[in-house]
Amino acid sequence: MSRPSHRFLRALLPPLVLLLLVLVAWQLVVMLLEIKPYLLPSPTAVVEAAIEHRAELFSAIWLTGRAAVLGLLISVLLGTTTALLFSQSRIVRRSFYPYAIALQTVPIVAIAPLIVNWFGEGFQSVVVVTVIISLFPVITNVTTGLTSIDEGLHDLFQLNHASRWQQLVKLRIPSAMPSLVTGARIAAGLAVVGAIVGEFFAGSLVQDRGLGYFVLSTVPNLQTDLLFGCVIAATLLGVVMFAAVSLAGRHLLGRWTAGMETH
Amino acid sequence: MLKRQLITALLLLAFMAGCRAVDQPPGNPPGEGEQEGRLRTVSLQLNWFPEAEHGGYYAALLSGYYEEEGLKVEILPGGPGAGVIQKTAEQKVTFAVANADQVLLGREQQAEVVALMAPLQSSPRCIMVHADSDIEDFSGLKGMTVAMGSGKAYAQFMEKQGLLEGVQVVAYSGSVARFLERKDFAQQGYVFSEPFVAQQQGVSTRNLMVSDLGFNPYTSILVTSNQQLEKDRDLVHRMVRASIRGWQQYLEDPAAVNEHLHSVNEQMSLEILDFGVEQLKPLCLPEGMPAGELGQMTAERWDTLAGQLRSIDLLGESVRASDAYYLGGLPAPQKD
Repeated sequence: MSRPSHRFLRALLPPLVLLLLVLVAWQLVVMLLEIKPYLLPSPTAVVEAAIEHRAELFSAIWLTGRAAVLGLLISVLLGTTTALLFSQSRIVRRSFYPYAIALQTVPIVAIAPLIVNWFGEGFQSVVVVTVIISLFPVITNVTTGLTSIDEGLHDLFQLNHASRWQQLVKLRIPSAMPSLVTGARIAAGLAVVGAIVGEFFAGSLVQDRGLGYFVLSTVPNLQTDLLFGCVIAATLLGVVMFAAVSLAGRHLLGRWTAGMETH
Repeated sequence: MLKRQLITALLLLAFMAGCRAVDQPPGNPPGEGEQEGRLRTVSLQLNWFPEAEHGGYYAALLSGYYEEEGLKVEILPGGPGAGVIQKTAEQKVTFAVANADQVLLGREQQAEVVALMAPLQSSPRCIMVHADSDIEDFSGLKGMTVAMGSGKAYAQFMEKQGLLEGVQVVAYSGSVARFLERKDFAQQGYVFSEPFVAQQQGVSTRNLMVSDLGFNPYTSILVTSNQQLEKDRDLVHRMVRASIRGWQQYLEDPAAVNEHLHSVNEQMSLEILDFGVEQLKPLCLPEGMPAGELGQMTAERWDTLAGQLRSIDLLGESVRASDAYYLGGLPAPQKD
């Protein structure tokens, strides 16, 4: 066995063993205390419900996943562009930054009906909600990355009469890359939340059923086991997106920061 | 390392057991069995904010019918996520108000609740369309956008009937704003509520009753837990008797109750409550049904509903419709 895979196993084994122990304990507690399924279903009941509804769950993950990915991509593009503008002018940054913060504090639940009115029911509104929820961490992180640069490097660029453009492309953007990756990673998790919340309000109920639909539908029908299934599906979706962004980030960082040993 | 994980698991186990102990006080729910004077204190959990569909229960309270039966009834307002079936099954409340489909769906999840009497014989559930549209029945919904509650049994039933083919069904946010704006938009409602709100905003509605499709769960029914029923049938009988009197009284003379409803839920204007009672009358006492039979339930209706819920895969074979209701508290139906 090669060493890297050995290390991988060692990293993976403890959480897996813990998961198994928790599942066994959960099953035992539900069985021994005879907890009714509408309060807390056993892990086996959750698995059974998930298997029974697997076709619907998979298509729901696929739909919600598309909205989350598209929303995340828009957030990263829009957030990075906004941050680039912020980095170029202090007055722009000072004027707009408070509103960027305000965006984060918008209670999405309160404005979701408005978004539906403006953008119509369905996928596009879900994506808009996803963008609103996941945009902020990209803006703040990238802005910070673009503006807080190594002073020594900054002086070096000034001494050599580097143009504003050269400074941006050769100094600011490379040094902002780690911040972009951080921002995108936070946004990835939020995008899943955004897509599900978006579906609560703007989702379609018969033609395209996302995870948001299933989460809500389990409530009047008291299907706690299926609700747990949805939670697990949503969590998996979030983890996959987070991992994908991390992986993409690692490649990106490797390319952009090659030769820069400042981090 | 394994030892440490075992300890963690044990801690978790203890924690979960602790949660259960807190969640489920064994024995009597709060207030239950308490004596105040000679009155027995019981609680009645509503499934929504106090409105016309709860009027009869308030009438029984305000007119002293509960007191005449030796009961001090505390009415607890509900709202979104009131979880009435869960609370009743856990005996956190003595009685609650729910709809028939929820009783069956609760029993499917082993929440042992039982229906006692049904003030609304016919469901107020409707799909409302603009009155000046040419839509006369459900088949006319094709090409429309319809807002409905996610996963509601009636919506799944309509889907099963093929009535939602070519219909864009979207989530209902609780506001009639989109309905007011768009002629090609329909939405769910309770016939005594949303149509009035739309009317007030200047849009007349035509209401397609879901009950006309044959999907017609008893509504605003009184429920209790199986345990409560087995423990004290007499208490249940007294509660049912007084509640029926309350409903009869409310339909006859709703003024005082509506004022009270308005005072506990300011969102409900006196106008909408008065409108509500007028709409409730034919739902509570359909043509030909004498006031003395208010609240009745039949085995056929419960069987039909259970069959419909099975047809949309919300109910399994293990739940027996006959376990979901108890007719012992109702007056014997008058024979012709």
